[in-house]
Amino acid sequence: MKRTTRGAFEVWALAALCLIALLLALPSKAFGYVDPGSGSFIYQAAYAAFIGGIFYLRKFLTRIFKRNK
Amino acid sequence: MIATCDTAQAGVVSRSFRDPAGTVLRSAGRILRAVEPGSVAELEAFLATQAAHSATEAGRLVTSVRLSSQQAAGLDLGSDAIFEHERIPFPSYAHEWPPEMLAAAGTLTLDLFRNALQEGFGLKDATPYNVLFRGPRPVFVDVLSFERRQPRDATWRAYAQFVRTFLLPLAAHRHFGLSPADTFAGKRDGLEPGDLYQWAGFWKRLSPPLLSLVTLPKWMGSKTSAATYHPKPAACPEQAQFVLDHLLRSCEKQLKSVAPRPNEESVWSGYLDHKSLYSAAQLETKERFVREALEWARPRTVLDVGANEGRFSFVTAQRGASVVAIDSDPAVVGTIWRQAHAQSLDVLPLVVDLTRPTPAIGWRNQECDSFLQRASGHFDMVLMLAVLHHMLVTERVPLEELLSLAAELTRDYLLIEFVAPADPMFQRIVRGREALHGDLTFERFEATAAAHFELVKSLKIEGLHRCLYLFRRRRTLA
Repeated sequence: MKRTTRGAFEVWALAALCLIALLLALPSKAFGYVDPGSGSFIYQAAYAAFIGGIFYLRKFLTRIFKRNK
Repeated sequence: MIATCDTAQAGVVSRSFRDPAGTVLRSAGRILRAVEPGSVAELEAFLATQAAHSATEAGRLVTSVRLSSQQAAGLDLGSDAIFEHERIPFPSYAHEWPPEMLAAAGTLTLDLFRNALQEGFGLKDATPYNVLFRGPRPVFVDVLSFERRQPRDATWRAYAQFVRTFLLPLAAHRHFGLSPADTFAGKRDGLEPGDLYQWAGFWKRLSPPLLSLVTLPKWMGSKTSAATYHPKPAACPEQAQFVLDHLLRSCEKQLKSVAPRPNEESVWSGYLDHKSLYSAAQLETKERFVREALEWARPRTVLDVGANEGRFSFVTAQRGASVVAIDSDPAVVGTIWRQAHAQSLDVLPLVVDLTRPTPAIGWRNQECDSFLQRASGHFDMVLMLAVLHHMLVTERVPLEELLSLAAELTRDYLLIEFVAPADPMFQRIVRGREALHGDLTFERFEATAAAHFELVKSLKIEGLHRCLYLFRRRRTLA
């Protein structure tokens, strides 16, 4: 049980570091030639941030459940 | 993006110019693509993927063959990297499609993107002008749209274009009755969220799918800066893939939610079944005449003008012909597409009014050919069944002009139904203007047709003021 708690902390720390890395990463270059739109582009960015968060949440929950098995 | 711009070389027509990676050229009936040196390896890598192979085998991606250096040099197009594509029999554009075909083109675009994604490729543009139709089946023709993805790139830069050119025009049709053909006739790049926002009422703005397609982008779009368009990459490739998978799934769901409902009706729906004057026996007589004419003429390519719900287009396609079926009503054209697609019949249905045919549009009016540029001399036979009187009376096109155009469209045969002024349907649309058509007799019709055609056979339909004619185009015009 003790081991599981420490493991969960490690996973949280890893997830937090990944998120920080995500936020601090250098901006990418845009290669497309089509008009990326304005509102639709921001909507997509917000959607990507939300789904990106779910990615880590899912990863975290998967590791928790695997450790508890 | 399909286009037509004359290049310096005589006889060569450039078909695109927006994508810096290459251009499509039409030369002596061949479709060629000159690719910029920096993009050749990427295109070849994409064409070598399993996704491209399977799509090409299934007829969903246009075939592409790179010409040898000698072949390319022989063409003298100023490029070593020339790819040749198969020629799609009759090019058509989004401004001629019913909503069903726009939805099918959107589904194909997302399917190909999803498969390419598994092998590290993305889609840099997402417009219906990347798609043509072979019969009722969509074919993706712009192979340069695929590019290698940066593994941590979680942004689909063509997402907004997919929204503008597929989702919003379909939503505008579904919620506001605006035909996609009308949308694209005026707007190359589709609709903006702001367009639908001003049409929608309060509750519609806040309900799916307009909430995420229209309202949120409209609200979010007011404040952007240059940095907005340089989003940060994901922390790892798996996260980027996860995000794009979800975005694609969301696009697929939204596409389904805005696709046209089956069995949409218009004033022309079910016309032959319960709105026309034909009894079952008379319709049978007419169909027998059409079948015999097809047996006689054995056309390989047929244009069905005023096809309504496609009864005679299907009869023709079942005889082995490749049919382009045109009608001005998007609802009946959509019905034809559904049936042709479900039964795999070689029928390409298009929203085209022959009295006001699709003009050449785009930059210098040369990006998309007009309907008549594509159709003239393309067909072995033209069908004009129960449509002539609408063109004469409602559209006020002179008989001589109509028959002259028919002679330009067909290489060989014209199967036409003449409806005399005494016909009740003629009376219904003439609305008090009988005097204008007093001289429109069977004799005058036959004499006018004789300037361009010789009569093969005709059949007066008993009990109706109508006659069917099979004409053959004169080799030397009178």
